[in-house]
Amino acid sequence: MALALDLRNLPDADVAALAKEGREPAFRELVRRYERPVFSLIFRMVRDRETAEDLAQDTFIKVLNNIDRYRSEFKLSSWLFKIANNVTIDHLRRRQLATVSLDGSPHAQTVAEAQATSLDVESRGESALEAMESRELGSAIERAIGQLRPEYRSCILLRHVEGRSYEEIAATLDLPLGTVKTYIHRARHELREALGDLRE
Amino acid sequence: MDRHLLPEEIDLLLDGEVGFGTPPLKAHVRSCVTCSRELESARVLVRTLEHLPHIAPSPLFAGRVMSRVQLFVPWHVALLDTVRGLIPQSRPLRVAAGALFATMAIALTALSVWAFTRIDAVLFTADLVVDRARSAAFGALGGALSALLGDAARPLLTGGALGLAAAALLLVVTGAAAATMLRAAAVRARER
Repeated sequence: MALALDLRNLPDADVAALAKEGREPAFRELVRRYERPVFSLIFRMVRDRETAEDLAQDTFIKVLNNIDRYRSEFKLSSWLFKIANNVTIDHLRRRQLATVSLDGSPHAQTVAEAQATSLDVESRGESALEAMESRELGSAIERAIGQLRPEYRSCILLRHVEGRSYEEIAATLDLPLGTVKTYIHRARHELREALGDLRE
Repeated sequence: MDRHLLPEEIDLLLDGEVGFGTPPLKAHVRSCVTCSRELESARVLVRTLEHLPHIAPSPLFAGRVMSRVQLFVPWHVALLDTVRGLIPQSRPLRVAAGALFATMAIALTALSVWAFTRIDAVLFTADLVVDRARSAAFGALGGALSALLGDAARPLLTGGALGLAAAALLLVVTGAAAATMLRAAAVRARER
């Protein structure tokens, strides 16, 4: 118990060092510290509680079972978010959820490229299930985030919900800094448009 | 500035960038209602995002994670933990344990020094103890063999140390074979 109380005041790197020694309280402390941020990120990406729990669980198991590979010169949280994002993106790709870009590839440089990679759909209205999940998420902003492309979603959530810098996001998501800035810019733009539509 | 701000310029102000020619942008926002409204709208969005709460997983989440984490405690950590576990928690008990440990260490050191000064006597005593232990072990082994094999054990017992060693080896091999057979039978029964 004494060790658990002491762990709360230790920086991440020290707790990780104790976890490397196989100390169970250190593992528990890492889960306690990051279960909410990691679960929130994944839940807002997949918009389904059960799936989010499974993916968050996979994330922590991957991180904790490979804690000996963690290098203390990097932020533990960045490593954790990187794995969470990879696990989630893999899941979204596997399931081919309705997160496919409707407006063309985010990498499109011209209008023609965007049109060539866009999907033709009649409506962007939510299904009953999506509507229910949106109600659970609780607000218009959550619904609007749910409409973003996954790569925009992870960038905007890391930037504004987790308070990460552009550089940290680029390192976490293995993306060039310029791409991160573009994604965040587009995500903000889409969110403002979506929220503007809702207000009208 | 004779135009409205570009979206990228709004982003610069939103991120609180300094340099990059932001003072003219700020000056423009102060004088342009459209850009001022645009920036304010972006700020409201950012504030809203920043106030999104963290969502908690189910209360069983941590337990489920921990049940699938492979915990491996290196031997030196386990040893250190065991030693730490033996140290009393309260200060008076720690002092008492320390005093006892120090006394024992001093006594053992004194005993070692004394034994070293009388090395002949120590060697003689050790030889005597080893001899008696060997006699006792052979006696016990002979008794066990007589009880187990009856008259058939006589050649082994009269064969001296070599005979006894052969008998001991026979006993060990027989015991191992019996244990292996029992184990195999138990495995077969479990499979059924």
